[in-house]
Amino acid sequence: MTSVCLYFEVHQPTRLNHFSVFNVGKNNDPLSTYFNHELNYWIFEKVAKKCYIPTNKLLLDLINKFDGKFRISFSLTGTFVEYCEKYIPSLLDSFRDLFATGAVDLIEETYFHSLSSLYDDLDEFEEQIKMHNKMIKRIFNYKPRIFRNTEAIFDNRIAKKVSEMGYRGILTEGTEKILDWRSPNYIYKPVNVDIKVLLRNYTLSDDVGFRFSARGWPGYPLTADKYAYWLASCEGDLINLFIDYETFGEHHWIETGIFDFLDHLPREILKYNHLDFVTVSEATERYEPIGDIDVPWAISWADADRDVSTWLGNNMQTACFNELKDIGRKIKEKKDKNLLYIWRLLQTSDHLYYLSTKGMEDGDVHAYFSPYSGPYEGFINYMNILQDLKQRLG
Amino acid sequence: MKIAMIGWEYPPFKAGGLATHCYGLTRSLAGKNIKVDFYMPKTKQKATSDNPNLRIIEVGETEIYPYDCPVDKELAGFFYDAVYRYNDIVVAKVQENIRKYGAYDAIHCHDWLTMRAGIILKEKKGIPLVITIHSTEYDRAGWIYPNQWFIDMERHGMEKANKVIAVSHFTKRVIVEKYGINPDKIDVVHNAVYPISEGQKQEIVLFLGRLTIQKGAEFFLRAAQKVKDHEPDARFVIAGSGDMLPRLIDQAISLGISDRVIFTGRLTEDEVKHIYGISSIYVMPSVSEPFGITALEAISAGTPTIVSKTAGIAETFKNCLKVDFWDTDEMANKIVSLLKYDPLRRTISKEGKREINLFTWDRVAEQTMDVYNRIV
Repeated sequence: MTSVCLYFEVHQPTRLNHFSVFNVGKNNDPLSTYFNHELNYWIFEKVAKKCYIPTNKLLLDLINKFDGKFRISFSLTGTFVEYCEKYIPSLLDSFRDLFATGAVDLIEETYFHSLSSLYDDLDEFEEQIKMHNKMIKRIFNYKPRIFRNTEAIFDNRIAKKVSEMGYRGILTEGTEKILDWRSPNYIYKPVNVDIKVLLRNYTLSDDVGFRFSARGWPGYPLTADKYAYWLASCEGDLINLFIDYETFGEHHWIETGIFDFLDHLPREILKYNHLDFVTVSEATERYEPIGDIDVPWAISWADADRDVSTWLGNNMQTACFNELKDIGRKIKEKKDKNLLYIWRLLQTSDHLYYLSTKGMEDGDVHAYFSPYSGPYEGFINYMNILQDLKQRLG
Repeated sequence: MKIAMIGWEYPPFKAGGLATHCYGLTRSLAGKNIKVDFYMPKTKQKATSDNPNLRIIEVGETEIYPYDCPVDKELAGFFYDAVYRYNDIVVAKVQENIRKYGAYDAIHCHDWLTMRAGIILKEKKGIPLVITIHSTEYDRAGWIYPNQWFIDMERHGMEKANKVIAVSHFTKRVIVEKYGINPDKIDVVHNAVYPISEGQKQEIVLFLGRLTIQKGAEFFLRAAQKVKDHEPDARFVIAGSGDMLPRLIDQAISLGISDRVIFTGRLTEDEVKHIYGISSIYVMPSVSEPFGITALEAISAGTPTIVSKTAGIAETFKNCLKVDFWDTDEMANKIVSLLKYDPLRRTISKEGKREINLFTWDRVAEQTMDVYNRIV
């Protein structure tokens, strides 16, 4: 038996206002001057209509139709849930409905989708996980057992911390950097600690996430039966398909046929007797590790490099990252709750992602997601805001 | 293949991007085994070539005015006369050379200044005509009161040409929309640069270009005033000459920044290279800019550069900052940020120099040869 583990990341960052160097030190209300609420609402509503609402509905229908045999997992970031509560509470209800079917698992992560796992000490990381845990408990009355860090950032240190916090499994990228010749279609265990690691099958995940509507790709057009055949031909215990939720309707528009693909996928997969669906928790219950992985340097599922250079690849990014860490120390000394919350919103990894200067394919992906006209404009804006926040602390 | 290229200026005699373009293009074409006879007006400083494929042929007895259209009406009259005379002499010289050395495969003209000769030669001899548009009358007038006489001349030339090369998509749009030229016969070839070496950087914010409405130096001064109090050590240099100079000096005084602004006047080639090398920021706030080779020159010298959003370079070059020329608040924001944030300056300088490697005259020559091949 080979299990298909389908997991979706659901996230929205809190995008920033235009903030000139001449604004530094001249505002009373950072929450409304730093963040572009109008733009954030506009994007959230647009994506909700194109992706979240129709995809939730389709998934609920599919789960009911296949009587729970179709099983999926979600991670919802804290910033995403705040958008739901503020703007479209019914969307949160539809996630509750999905969860209530019993065929849906929820994954833990940092509330702010931050890079706090890369700070010198892991206190902030732990606090943000606890915030997320509380949020999931409040909304779904559930305690997740599986953890996935921001964009699957993972190293031995993170694995150890997450294990110590009591999680049974952790997700990351199935890159050759850690696997070498080995297959991602099994569970592994870090060398230093006892926790089950689920590895993303990036080829099959990206076939849907990136290549689905690419006409130049040999696999085009990708149909559900063709894709199910590829899955059925895989060896291993477990095929982890970890996909950005916005793949459905936003990255690939409805006209590409992505919803038809999803609609037919469970039936086509379940046609094969040796395939079934599992949630992330079930995967860790059913399968045992077949080998060790040793990850001294952080990996992730981002860009072609599969490391943290997406966020920390140039001088501008490291300068902002260091500034952010320094500000954090001061804020925690001050014990100012409002500023602490703002600082945390600024930690969302997207803010650093926009400053990447990587070329070629990845650069295009960065540009697609960025609200700025380029990384330099992004740096100026973000750094000006960090300087303003710093001045506030005296 | 043998080309008669009709130019107006050529280093060391140089007023603008046209000279730079012709210099890089002809040398690279010659390097790719294309025979080029480059016709130009006689100047004081003799232009030379070190490649036998490229011959520089100076025509005319009198010295000719540079690229700018003189403001003075009387002088302007002389100027147009001189342009006509030059074109007629070129026609005679080209015909003479055809008799002596054989036919050309194509005539290649640059801007309105040399179109007349191209049209006459095409009609008399049936030689295919290519015209490169480095700027239109709309650009030079900054889109305020363009002169119909030039527009008609430009339209006539482009209508007659077999192919038109535009230095940007921005310019191609102008040619299609304002001149009614068929888009299918227009190719876009972006400009290039011979890299300039980086010097010891000082806190200089540089403007360099002709001081005309088109180049937008007045917006540079307005931004400078906003930067002044935030960056007390910054100096602002305006390099170049032109009819706006007296007004710009007055403006600097009335803005209260005359102690911080240096007007250098016209600089020599070597001085230009030096000032690019030692500047911390280059600003090109052009009201209308078909391409903007100066921005490439500054970037090649490791100088972070701010350009007009509508400039041709902005559509193709990633590692520079872009502003609306009229938005001097944002221009000032970017200048202060560049001066203040070291990592920004270093990253944009490094990435800019990397990207500049794509902008070679060999690439321009190859794209130009593609155009030749389609009409010969």
